[in-house]
Amino acid sequence: MRAFCAEERARTPVLAGACDRLRTPRPLGPFAEIAAGAGGRLQESFSRTDERPLEALAEHLRAQGESIVVVEDAHWADEATLDLIGMLGRRIEQLPALVLVTYRSDELQRSHPLRILLGDLATAFGVERLQLEPLSAAAVARLAEPLAIDAEALFAGTGGNPFFVTEVIASGGATIPPTVRDAVLARAARLEPEARALLDVVAVVTRRAELWLLEAIGEGLDALDACVASGMLRAERDGVAFRHELARLAIEESIPPRRHALLDAAALAALRSPPDGRLDLARLAHHADGAGDSAAVLELAPAAAAAAARLGAHREAAAQYARTLRHGAGLPPRERASLLMARAVECHLTDDHWTAIGEAREAAGLYRELGDVAGEGTAKLKLASLLWCASETAASESATDEGIALLDSLGPSPELARAYEQASSRAMNLEQAEAAFRWGERLLELGEHVEPRTFVAYLNDTGTMKLLLGRRDEGRADLERSISLAVEAGLDSDAGRGYIHLGWAGARIRDFSLDGLLEQGIDYCAERGLELWRLYVIAYRARLQLDRGRWDDAADAATYVLRQPHEALLLRLLVLTTLATVRMRRGDPAADELLAEAARIADGKGDLQHLAPAAIASTELAALAGDADAAAEASTRVLALAHDRGAVWVVGELALWRRLAGIDEPAPAGIPEPYALQLAGRGGEAAEAWRRFGCPYEAALALADASGLEELRRLGAGPVKDALARELRERGERGIRRGPRASTRANPAGLTSRESEVLSLVGEGLRNAEIAERLVLSTRTVEHHVASILRKLGARTRAEAAARAAQVR
Amino acid sequence: MPRYVVERTFPSGLAIPVDAAGAQVCLTVVDRNADEGVTWVHSYVSDDKRKTFCVYDAPSPEAIRKTAQRNDLPVDRITQVSVLDPYFYRSE
Repeated sequence: MRAFCAEERARTPVLAGACDRLRTPRPLGPFAEIAAGAGGRLQESFSRTDERPLEALAEHLRAQGESIVVVEDAHWADEATLDLIGMLGRRIEQLPALVLVTYRSDELQRSHPLRILLGDLATAFGVERLQLEPLSAAAVARLAEPLAIDAEALFAGTGGNPFFVTEVIASGGATIPPTVRDAVLARAARLEPEARALLDVVAVVTRRAELWLLEAIGEGLDALDACVASGMLRAERDGVAFRHELARLAIEESIPPRRHALLDAAALAALRSPPDGRLDLARLAHHADGAGDSAAVLELAPAAAAAAARLGAHREAAAQYARTLRHGAGLPPRERASLLMARAVECHLTDDHWTAIGEAREAAGLYRELGDVAGEGTAKLKLASLLWCASETAASESATDEGIALLDSLGPSPELARAYEQASSRAMNLEQAEAAFRWGERLLELGEHVEPRTFVAYLNDTGTMKLLLGRRDEGRADLERSISLAVEAGLDSDAGRGYIHLGWAGARIRDFSLDGLLEQGIDYCAERGLELWRLYVIAYRARLQLDRGRWDDAADAATYVLRQPHEALLLRLLVLTTLATVRMRRGDPAADELLAEAARIADGKGDLQHLAPAAIASTELAALAGDADAAAEASTRVLALAHDRGAVWVVGELALWRRLAGIDEPAPAGIPEPYALQLAGRGGEAAEAWRRFGCPYEAALALADASGLEELRRLGAGPVKDALARELRERGERGIRRGPRASTRANPAGLTSRESEVLSLVGEGLRNAEIAERLVLSTRTVEHHVASILRKLGARTRAEAAARAAQVR
Repeated sequence: MPRYVVERTFPSGLAIPVDAAGAQVCLTVVDRNADEGVTWVHSYVSDDKRKTFCVYDAPSPEAIRKTAQRNDLPVDRITQVSVLDPYFYRSE
């Protein structure tokens, strides 16, 4: 990498930055370094946290013409840096830049944020991953030979890891140290005492040590040349750095605790007055913590946390708050409570629900002791939403009630409006329509106390509820208004939530007219980096595609979402059931495995969002197997819940599969028309109604005649098609085919009608591109057809095929 | 990776000539399969050449259907299978 940059630097500007292994990394650390290197406007925008870093960087890159951007050691990156890398990756085709990101794959655990980013970028255009292979035994031997080192033992001891190998070789290699630490320490020990001491300082101040900083810490720079000459350090712009981060770690860990704390204190003092006057809060807090200087931590860490949160680096923000609280045993209760709430918010944003719940509980208790009713009420409501996320429905409900009672006693306020919205949202999620609308009305009565964001959420709650109840136009209008207000106000995730809810309710009531809006939502979420939101919209859209008979598209989308690394169980459940339904309808294997996992996720949940998809798919599978017991087992409890919540589409679908599974029971009242007609035995009318909705599979099932069979064949249905074909044959209907399309069988060469069409154009001497244009197909499809024609006719060339076709005719 | 048996019906019989053209047909199929991570292990063909039983390694049934479509091959049924080796069993 370094050699490449050195070579390119002559022709192309290189912007380089690296991530540090701080316990709480500096937000946008490497990009700040890049901006500092670039100077000018870019540096200006990065020093102001209110600007969007992507825009500033993109602008700079476009102005440069062509450039190379390097981000090293991304496995230690903060979230803001990862977000920015992701956004660069998704736009890389539009930027005149080569972005090189390095990371150590052995540093990535299963849910490491970088892994998620890599998965996300796997399908992006213009993004490539280069796997760095370990050195081969032969390569190690070649490196070891000039020094007469036992190459076999070296390869065995290092596994070919280039760093280990070069480190061991550089240390003289008389013997092979068991670990790289020993190698590094052995090499450091060969330095003069001053140089060795300076190495400690550089190790403590993390990856890049500025010269002014080393000078200020005051252990003397005289030995610096010796350190660089030894190869342990390398000179950088205005500073030095370890040649490898692992070496720095080995040195840092070897420093006795007291000396380490003293060096941290010295670094802290020096960093408080940097020559350019720009305070690096994350770095300051890191050294304050290391120095055991609680007063400094309390001063610096909350500010570092707030700065990280502003940049979207929530994991770092939560860690900075945790650091503050660790040092804050003696803080006054009010300050402690507000820090606890701040940490709860950040932990919530990083899915660490149980930590967040603990902090919110403690905060609520402190506010109560203080007699601060507003504080306690707000803390209770935060606690309620955290408990909701952790699926603690009952506890969440009582916390909401307590919070609302506390705030209510203080009269109208924005907090009270937010509390009503939260209650409305909770009721809507449980599909308790009456409560959802009631809380919404109380919210509107608060008038000017309702903040814009609360109003956006209110519109979402009522709109979603209306849509779920089948009030299509009203619901859609509310949700669209909620989204456009959110977009205008820059409330990205609220807009994303609007799109998700359009998908959720739209899939429930089979409103295919929402497809365009959902596609727009997918683009919107992608642009704003709302990855999880984007996947949810894709998942709901996949369900709509399945119900419109686009099974390939539905299976593709579901598979895509399943392959993305994320921890959202509802999302997984949605795509598991969609893919399972495609498989069972085709007669493909392993639908039951997918449903078993979906059932495990839904187990113990109390809302139809989780329960309905799992129950519906399992009941359909039971219907295909004609297993009435399994159908009852899968659906009875959820059917009662759906009935209770007025979820008529869920009731209708469950009732249909139960009937087809052989459960003999009267049709429930109030279900949507096509289900009612079908269950009443009026198949023809039901099929007509299904066609109006745009659901071909259901229409074909309702029809159960020869044209229904044809439709099932077209869709690629398996078991249901076979059963219907058998039934029709037994009934003595004519014209029921056993094999592929009748037209194929009629053609003596076994060509499909499309292939015959292509062949006749081949006979006219047209090229593939011309045929594609004539038949409105892609050239690739035409190529496939031509290859298939050649195969079926046993012809080697197009001319031969055309001649053979003429003979057959 | 799971293994599958894919049953296909060719109403007018399957004829892949045993020559360069036949080899090309097979290679084309193999290439297109690779796009989806699908490996065609081998096939059994009925004596009347109207039915084939094809053994595939593939990431999912969807991947098999997708490549079948691209190769213009019919699919009657996909079954997930595992190997049973009669000579693996021994009486003590």
